[in-house]
Amino acid sequence: MSSSDSSSSSASDDPNPKLKPQPLESQFQSSLTLEDSDGVARTDDASVAEQQQEQQDEGSGNGSVDGVVNVEDNGHRDSSDREEGIGSGEARDGDGGSGGGGGVVWRRANSEVELEVEAPASPSSSGYAGGRGSSGASSASRADDASEEDEIEVVGNDDGGAVGAPDSQAEWTPGKRHVDEDDASISWRKRKKHFFILSNSGKPIYSRYGDEHKLAGFSATLQAIISFVENGGDRVKYVKAGMHQVVFLVKGPIYLVCISCTEEPFESLVAQLELVYGQMILILTKSLNRCFEKNPKFDMTPLLGGTDVVFSALIHSFSWNPAAFLHAYACLPLPYATRQAAGAILQDVADSGVLFALLMCKHRVGTSLKVISLVGAQKASLHPDDMLLLGNFIMSSESFRQVTSESFSPICLPRYNPMAFLHAYVHYFDADTYLILLTTRSDAFYHLKDCRIRIETVLLKSNVLSEVQRSTLDGGMRVEDLSVDLQQHTGSTSRVEDKPHTETPERIRESSLVGLGGPAGLWHFLYRSVYLDQYVSSEFSSPINTHRQQKRLYRAYQKLYVSMHSKGIGPHKTQFRRDENYVLLCWVTPDFELYAAFDPLADKALAIKTCNKVCQWVKDVENEIFLLGASPFSW
Amino acid sequence: MQLCIFDLRRGQQEGQELDKILFFFPADLPFATQLSVIGLSEGLITFTRIFSPDAACEVIEAERHSHVFYEAESDIWMVMVVDKSKESKAACQVDALRKVLKEVHSLFVLFHGTMRSMLEKETSGGLIRSHLYPFITDYLSGKPLFYCSIPKAADFLTGRKLQLPSFHDCLMERGTVQMLTVGREAAIEVQSLVKVLECSAGTTSCYSLVLFQDLLVSTTLSPDDTISLFTYAVLRLTPHALSSGATSWSYLQRTNAGSQVPALSTITNSGSVSDNIYRSQNNCQVKRPLHHNRWFRGNDGFLASDIWGTDNGSQTSVTPIVYLQLTEERMYLCAYQHKSLTIILLVPVSSILNGEQGLSLVKQQVLENASLKMLMVEEKLSKGWGGENAYHVSGYRYLLVDDERVSRASPPAKVMTLAKESLLALSKLREEVNLEKKRAKCSNKLEICVRAKNGAWVIARTSRGKELYMVLEKASETLLYAADSVEKFSNRYCSGVFSLD
Repeated sequence: MSSSDSSSSSASDDPNPKLKPQPLESQFQSSLTLEDSDGVARTDDASVAEQQQEQQDEGSGNGSVDGVVNVEDNGHRDSSDREEGIGSGEARDGDGGSGGGGGVVWRRANSEVELEVEAPASPSSSGYAGGRGSSGASSASRADDASEEDEIEVVGNDDGGAVGAPDSQAEWTPGKRHVDEDDASISWRKRKKHFFILSNSGKPIYSRYGDEHKLAGFSATLQAIISFVENGGDRVKYVKAGMHQVVFLVKGPIYLVCISCTEEPFESLVAQLELVYGQMILILTKSLNRCFEKNPKFDMTPLLGGTDVVFSALIHSFSWNPAAFLHAYACLPLPYATRQAAGAILQDVADSGVLFALLMCKHRVGTSLKVISLVGAQKASLHPDDMLLLGNFIMSSESFRQVTSESFSPICLPRYNPMAFLHAYVHYFDADTYLILLTTRSDAFYHLKDCRIRIETVLLKSNVLSEVQRSTLDGGMRVEDLSVDLQQHTGSTSRVEDKPHTETPERIRESSLVGLGGPAGLWHFLYRSVYLDQYVSSEFSSPINTHRQQKRLYRAYQKLYVSMHSKGIGPHKTQFRRDENYVLLCWVTPDFELYAAFDPLADKALAIKTCNKVCQWVKDVENEIFLLGASPFSW
Repeated sequence: MQLCIFDLRRGQQEGQELDKILFFFPADLPFATQLSVIGLSEGLITFTRIFSPDAACEVIEAERHSHVFYEAESDIWMVMVVDKSKESKAACQVDALRKVLKEVHSLFVLFHGTMRSMLEKETSGGLIRSHLYPFITDYLSGKPLFYCSIPKAADFLTGRKLQLPSFHDCLMERGTVQMLTVGREAAIEVQSLVKVLECSAGTTSCYSLVLFQDLLVSTTLSPDDTISLFTYAVLRLTPHALSSGATSWSYLQRTNAGSQVPALSTITNSGSVSDNIYRSQNNCQVKRPLHHNRWFRGNDGFLASDIWGTDNGSQTSVTPIVYLQLTEERMYLCAYQHKSLTIILLVPVSSILNGEQGLSLVKQQVLENASLKMLMVEEKLSKGWGGENAYHVSGYRYLLVDDERVSRASPPAKVMTLAKESLLALSKLREEVNLEKKRAKCSNKLEICVRAKNGAWVIARTSRGKELYMVLEKASETLLYAADSVEKFSNRYCSGVFSLD
């Protein structure tokens, strides 16, 4: 897979795209897409036409048709394409001269075509060429970004065992890491968490670390293991060796493998593989299985070209985004009336033929998404995993992120309908706040644009956007506020809370300092509302203030989640766990789940009391921290 | 269930793959199938070493099978394949299954020395194959090997299913010894008995093991040797083992005794190569220390067995020789039994010059010097002995493991009263704790209390190398109450090791 970031179309208002130097292949790319934009599928392969038909039958638009055409083209060119490798721009140029007749579509170009197929409906559709041109240019600028990322890749290394991991999340930059490595490199072998996607013929599709092409042999080994077990009428789930786990997930013609020594339980890792697969479906739909039925040797790397930034961002999020294991989404805390106002206008829009309307914002740190409001057309419901994947796709793709630009891109929601493309209109109101409108219609761009303008007007008028900014700055619930809260409302009992009888001198010192956790040594909590599919997480406070500590806490929560929900015998009701790092308390009821972390020396009785208080607190403010009523699930 | 042992240093050339196989159960499986099991195992050992060079493959978990790995000696691997549909209770008990492999191996080494040394002694592999086959089949089936392997007798095998460890066993710990708690006075008696015993042998380098019922009273052996020998004693030597053998196997014993050698060749009919494998050593009398019902108590109180043949001169049974793990020293194993008391005396082979004759002198010495003391010790221990349920603590179902070597648990009959859900929850919890232990080595303190779906409290505590697992089904609703119960137990029975500081 190429390292350029070119995952979606962006009808950007970039004032001077042409001023940026364009690499050869990008120039070629724009010329190719121009040719392609005639809308003629240049191929004599009958099966392609068939595919188009199938695709259309499924209600997906022209976009996917084009995509599939390219798929086939590449299927034919497979071997030569692979041999070319990266940076053989001249050769491509030469080939390009012979035009698109023979299905000349290259990896990067291809991905561009595949994902920007909606360009005909783009704002600049008065001239297709213009729209294409600008997208080609923007991809060029993105390629520049990518190379910058490469330079700082060592700093940005996230899980790397060999290289020091950064302590601040802000330092993490999206994108492929360590492309120079392969399975022979010691550093590669020592990476803590590998992810691989390969085809059932053993062709590498994605690798978190290292260059896929150099990992062809390794990939073949993984395939051999899977098929060896399969031949015995069985299916391999995982292999354990020391602290390492190799987890396998077979999804039709797609094999996913995770090799990890992060001590995450098997159940977590396999859930993560499911999400990685979902991310792939989100980009390509499940109809890619047909390509494999037709041609088992089908090479799909070109289709995903440039999207590895999306996968790395997703994988990165596994370590710090609780949504990934809780299967729930988080909301930005907002006054009830503000959220109501936002919900009302979204509902308005939804009634006019929009399938889903989501108003989201970026978390202060990192790229986690928080929902401001979301609305679905009747009977349509959005799975939290789909929201995670959609949010990740949009936030990790640079092209969407240009403020005031508007993008229109085919995407598939794997939990909603894995077979069909939807079309996503994405617009950023400001650096953090963005709107996603999803529709089944591929020609709805102008309608959605109008919707957006209406929404924007209302949001500005009702001060929603400024409230959002204020809330983003203020942050969410803080464990320190729990004690304040208690003192205000429950006077006498809080004094007991503040003085755990197992206090050690250290603890007294800690609790006397401001900002060292909440009452009874409470450091952090996660509360998941089962009915709402939403969770709320307290802000990190001291002593959980470095990225490393936050990641460790999330891993501990994740382990606790798996332990509580263990298959066959779960869910358990309560769990108390004390180790050298924390006291963790978990409480699972049919209504909610609470995960709380305390000082490892915390007193058991006080910790339980505090958990009860947290639950009460959450219930007291649920109007502000959750999206109630207006959720699509109540339809 | 399949079980294989293979040596990665052998059969590395194409066409010689069969040479790798040292043991395969069931032996009548086609070689292609055997090789495919070993091929997958070998492949994954190599593969996992890419990432984890120090600890290669431990388990392959597939939808229908679990493959449990144990590297018994360097490059000699034991792999057990469990069919989950047939052994659903055993599935997922990976650590327990690995302990089975470990136990088989340590018992083998106790009687035959290491596999590697045997392979070095006789490089064709015939010797070790001829030893492993009866040894492991005896161990696994708990019955003479020829019933398992003759196709006609297949219904015997299905009729008596192998008992693999299951979640029901989560309140016991294989590979540990169970100790008898003795009062101060009795302890002094035992101490003086041990001294007398070891003096009787006339040499300073002998060792002794004293058991009461199936419980260890005293040992002067190293911890590892103690565990191996204790395991063997409980399997074959204690009064309980002797009597259970006599009752349940007498029929088979009578009808088939003596047919050992012909049977050995019968089983090899399945393939020409295995023919060579197993028959090659037939003339060199393979000893089967785990053979059932071959131990009996002689008139002098010493246990004897015909497993090792009889001495030509005196018509007495040949005394078995065991290997000590650390020193690889060879020792004569003499076992004496008085009522519930079993005493094992290990005498260095090098110190006895004229074999059985010399040994019988030693035995005589022991009887002369120690029989009175043995009577007294037996009496004292019997008086203090609380019976089957001696270690039952009412309201608790527990397992206490000390340093992974010594364990004490609620009596099995009491554990049986627990709900399946509770046992499943505990066995899952134990898996989690095992992972934590692997990660952090013993030194860590860990406390986990889980309230399972059925309302039972399932608890694990580790502290300073000690582990406590507990199921409280009738505890009250609250965590505090459950925690309090553990605290009380800890204070009373574990000298407060698990109490909060």
